[in-house]
Amino acid sequence: MELIPILSTIILVATISTFLLAIGAYILYKVRERKGQQVVTPKPSSVQAELITPVGVPARQPAAGGISPQPRFAREQPAQPYRQSVQQPIFVQQQGPRLTSWQQQKITPEYTPQYAAQEERQPLGTSQPRGYRGPSYAAPAQVAQPERKVKFQQYTSEGYIPAKEDKNRGALKWR
Amino acid sequence: METEQKIKRAKLILDNVEEKQPEEDKSKKLLRRIIYSGIISLILIFIIIYTLPMTVLSFKSLIEYATIVAFVIFLFILLFRYFAILVFAYLYINEYTYKNIDGFFPFVSIIVPVYNEEKVVGESVKSLLKLDYSNYEIIIVNDGSTDRTREVAEKLVGFRKSMYGEIKISLINKPNGGKANALNAGIRYSNAEIVLCMDGDSQLSPDSVKLAVRHFTNPEIGAVAGNVKILNRGKLFTDLQALEYIEGLNMVRSAQSFIRLVNIIPGPIGLFRKKALEEAGFYSSDTFAEDADLTLKILSNGWKIYYEPNSISYTEAPVKLHQLLKQRYRWTRGILQSIRKHKKFLLDPTVNFGDTFILWTMAYEALVWPTMNIAVNLFFIVAALAFGFSSLIFFWWGGLALLDLVTALYCVAVEKEELRLVWYSIIYRMFFILIIDVCKAMSTIEEFIGIRMTWGKLERVGSAKT
Repeated sequence: MELIPILSTIILVATISTFLLAIGAYILYKVRERKGQQVVTPKPSSVQAELITPVGVPARQPAAGGISPQPRFAREQPAQPYRQSVQQPIFVQQQGPRLTSWQQQKITPEYTPQYAAQEERQPLGTSQPRGYRGPSYAAPAQVAQPERKVKFQQYTSEGYIPAKEDKNRGALKWR
Repeated sequence: METEQKIKRAKLILDNVEEKQPEEDKSKKLLRRIIYSGIISLILIFIIIYTLPMTVLSFKSLIEYATIVAFVIFLFILLFRYFAILVFAYLYINEYTYKNIDGFFPFVSIIVPVYNEEKVVGESVKSLLKLDYSNYEIIIVNDGSTDRTREVAEKLVGFRKSMYGEIKISLINKPNGGKANALNAGIRYSNAEIVLCMDGDSQLSPDSVKLAVRHFTNPEIGAVAGNVKILNRGKLFTDLQALEYIEGLNMVRSAQSFIRLVNIIPGPIGLFRKKALEEAGFYSSDTFAEDADLTLKILSNGWKIYYEPNSISYTEAPVKLHQLLKQRYRWTRGILQSIRKHKKFLLDPTVNFGDTFILWTMAYEALVWPTMNIAVNLFFIVAALAFGFSSLIFFWWGGLALLDLVTALYCVAVEKEELRLVWYSIIYRMFFILIIDVCKAMSTIEEFIGIRMTWGKLERVGSAKT
């Protein structure tokens, strides 16, 4: 007997069987699904959820070594979400008027809202990640030091200058 | 990972309202559909009745003639589709080889939505802590699980040791609202510019984030689709699916990526620019393929989408036939719902040509391709049984199997996959694709009739160990 008619018969039988299998399996699947059908309930406009997040800063900062050279980003602030965006959750002490689509209420005794003021509010889309400093892979930015109050100042043609600086300038003149 | 961590609990009120399109009157819609299809059928019947006496054909030979013409058209489209995808995929891989962008590491939030994933969520998070990336956080969203997922996930919360230091893991426990809803909760909580959405049962390869993120240096890129691979291999059924993912899905995605128009960002791994998500109105739960819907929304806003083949997400494939049918039923109906939702782009190419092009390809893959495949198989069965042309079916299968074999070999070589999978291509089209296409055709009919469907949860066996 030739090979092609044998193979053709095998393929034909396989195709018909697959067809029957597919249709049968589909019918069985539908029967099975119908048994476990659920009632669709209308969705509420808002739902209550619980947020569980770690407190403080990581015990170990990113290591100096690694598989590939990547920038290190120090986490200096407590990583808590506090965003101004319409889509972002807002943490408040008490439930007030509906300001945003996401709100948070104080409910647990250990919850303190002190982190609320620690992160800078940023407009949507320009927010920077927690622990992320400046543009990507840039060195961490220097934290601005509060300006020291100078008690005495002297008025010159360049405006007010600290008195100490003026004294030095005088020293230069004497030389 | 069992170290005691100091955690903080707070309550959130989540907005549950989604952007939805105004609903049409269903009876009116059905009536309109019947009228349109009736008019088209009448016109066609009239043309046949009017023109048939002018030809030398009898009614019987007309059917035979029409079948042969349809078969030739199908063969032409099949070959054209295959070679177009192969050429584009080749061009993409060629372009990809020479691309190397380094030094860009923005902060990424990884959203892990979980629903009854107690067996696999630990492994998923473990894979995330092995990522070769320093600047990220993990947000687990428990979507009202009824098993022990909540307890398992709570144990994971804290600062956990990763490759570059400690990574913050947070958990949002919310009532069940579907995957789209859970992902939205995580995305909205996230403060990152780039968000990675994945499945609770998926595991990412160490390089996945690092390699995908670099494409965001291009300001036009709104999202990056990753590469999904089957984790639970070793059985005929899952191996066939592994081959399907490589040959059927990833090759198409590579071809689409060449024109920056990937049509579906897969659920197991997708990176999004937060701005693109905000513009698209986040995930919607009005379709059963929320990933396809979101991708189309992003594309319609003018963003480009890229595919990163080395950002790999390993996922568990259905091991039983009914589970596979459930998955494909949902995919098909979801894709059809997404196409219908974006029909204004389908019919008007002047709004966004890229979106129109991609919608037509989706409509072809979801509607035309399975129908034609089934019709051709039926044609050969009838030709063999009624007319004795049994050798035709052999040559048909032989030709297709050869085409699939060559394509599988190319795809396996490109993806550096297991060579043994290539041999499955011989039975791939005869057995596997036919079952899938029958399911697709049935789902399409049900979608057009408007039979109600519900989400199905795939049972995870937890075989996925890193």
